[in-house]
Amino acid sequence: MATLVQVENLRKEFGNVRALDGVSFRVDAGEWIAIMGPSGSGKTTLINILGGLDTPSTGQAIVDGTDVARLDEGGLTRFRAEKIGFIFQQFHLVPYLTALENVMLAQYFHSTTDEKEAQRSLERVGLGDRIEHLPSRLSGGEQQRVAVARALINHPKLILADEPTGNLDEANEEIVLSLLRELHREGHTILMVTHAATIGRLADRRIEFAHGRLLQAAAASLKPELA
Amino acid sequence: MFWRLVAQLLRGSRGRLAVAIIAIVSGAAVISALLNLDLGVQNKLTQEFRTLGANVVISPASGAPAQSSGAEVPTLMPSGDVLQALRQLPSAQVAAAAPYLYIVARSQNIPLVVAGTWLDQAQKLDPTWKLEGNWVASREDDSHCLVGRNVARRLHLAPGNSVQLHYMDRSVQCGVAGIVDAGDTDDNQIFASLRAVQSLANLPGQIGLAQISVAGTTQVVAGYARLLATVLPQYQVRPIRQVAEAEGALLGRIRLLIVSMVLLILILTALCVLATMAALAMERRKDVGLMKSLGGSISRIVGIFLAEVGVLGAAGGLLGTALGAALSYWMGLRVFGTAIAPRWEVLPATVALMIVVTLTGALPLRMLGNVKPAEILRGE
Repeated sequence: MATLVQVENLRKEFGNVRALDGVSFRVDAGEWIAIMGPSGSGKTTLINILGGLDTPSTGQAIVDGTDVARLDEGGLTRFRAEKIGFIFQQFHLVPYLTALENVMLAQYFHSTTDEKEAQRSLERVGLGDRIEHLPSRLSGGEQQRVAVARALINHPKLILADEPTGNLDEANEEIVLSLLRELHREGHTILMVTHAATIGRLADRRIEFAHGRLLQAAAASLKPELA
Repeated sequence: MFWRLVAQLLRGSRGRLAVAIIAIVSGAAVISALLNLDLGVQNKLTQEFRTLGANVVISPASGAPAQSSGAEVPTLMPSGDVLQALRQLPSAQVAAAAPYLYIVARSQNIPLVVAGTWLDQAQKLDPTWKLEGNWVASREDDSHCLVGRNVARRLHLAPGNSVQLHYMDRSVQCGVAGIVDAGDTDDNQIFASLRAVQSLANLPGQIGLAQISVAGTTQVVAGYARLLATVLPQYQVRPIRQVAEAEGALLGRIRLLIVSMVLLILILTALCVLATMAALAMERRKDVGLMKSLGGSISRIVGIFLAEVGVLGAAGGLLGTALGAALSYWMGLRVFGTAIAPRWEVLPATVALMIVVTLTGALPLRMLGNVKPAEILRGE
């Protein structure tokens, strides 16, 4: 398998706080990785850097051959539009846009909109009958499924899911996880932040963080490239 | 998708935007009304000033030799020259014109100023006159005259009476058609047919001056006078300055007032939009953070918001212009006693002003460029 993500000696500091401290690892294309660790351990910071939402203080974060650390604002914008699909814990849908329009918004920023394709994407996550609903009229699980459809619409190289089931009840959690399993089977590369060990076990590999560093034990089993 | 987004933004924020819409519509209505008034007032004032009568006078050049065949006749000029010159120039601008020959005649042994003129033009050239009795409808009517109020009182004349006028060894009689109350020196004169006075004074074809009422602005009147002067270089042609200058000064003051008010309203509208947009920009930081995370460039995102504001300005401008037209109509009736019709050029001007003002008021949207998506999505 080709390497899709390569992180080398990545550091991120917020003032005096070191959120990431010399992190290195690789992810092959098609892998499902669970990023685990306690709150404040740097999981979300890592996801933000890999997704081009934040920039590292030092080190490299190469995604599909692009070093995110070297991109300017415009480059990061194109990078996010073309290579990344985000799924957030808080769903983050635009409240005054319908489910369909939320999906089309990602198309709009990527290139051109295709309403039929957006509709098919929503049908795929089981929301074919809810496309004209505003987020306020959708349940949490339905909103997250809209977010999944939006993340997939531009065929991203990498899906970044930050606690995708953190705000869902058991039934909706299962629906979303089955969607992720399906995406994995189709060959999508997924990096998923989670607190839950049961969910982490669904992934091919787990990367465990503590205080901004990869834990040695977990890292050894995952064959990381430590700095 | 762009306009779909704009429409959804407008729908989604209609509560917040209501304040801005009210400000824009109100501002546009007042500005449109003021612009209508500014343009309409110029016409109305010109018409109003026209009611003051003649505004161009032709008289013999000062120092010209007297052509009188008798005493007490001032410098004269042939009426044919003047009438021919008037025929050469565009008649559409001339509301009324009449030649005058003034003589001092006697009636009941009392010396009186008698003006020979075209009596059918008197009402147009002296519209402020109040008349007891009847106007003389035809300039060919040599048998009737109009008598000034003071003369009528002194000679005990009333409409229907006759008055005998003597000049040297000649005399003429005319029936009093009406008594003139002009409120000025015209009250001390008798106005008779030009032909009758020329005959009485034995000055056929001679006049002392001509008065013209030119329709149009101060500039039009001055332009007509200049043109007339080129055709009649041997005579003095001059606009009546007091009226023209009063008109110009009043129009200038009204325009200054209107421009000041328009500027003030534009500033107030911009401030109102600014306050609304500042609040809206804060509310939309999360949406902008999300849009950035989806790959939206700040120029594209702010472009959507600016289009929303532009639509707001255009719609407010259109609605305000319609309301302003009604407002100016009402104000015209109240102030000038006549309706001021809406002017088509006010519509694009008002809408353009409103778009500019709302876009200026949308300056707080610039702060959205600094939104860091990672911070927003973390909930900071």
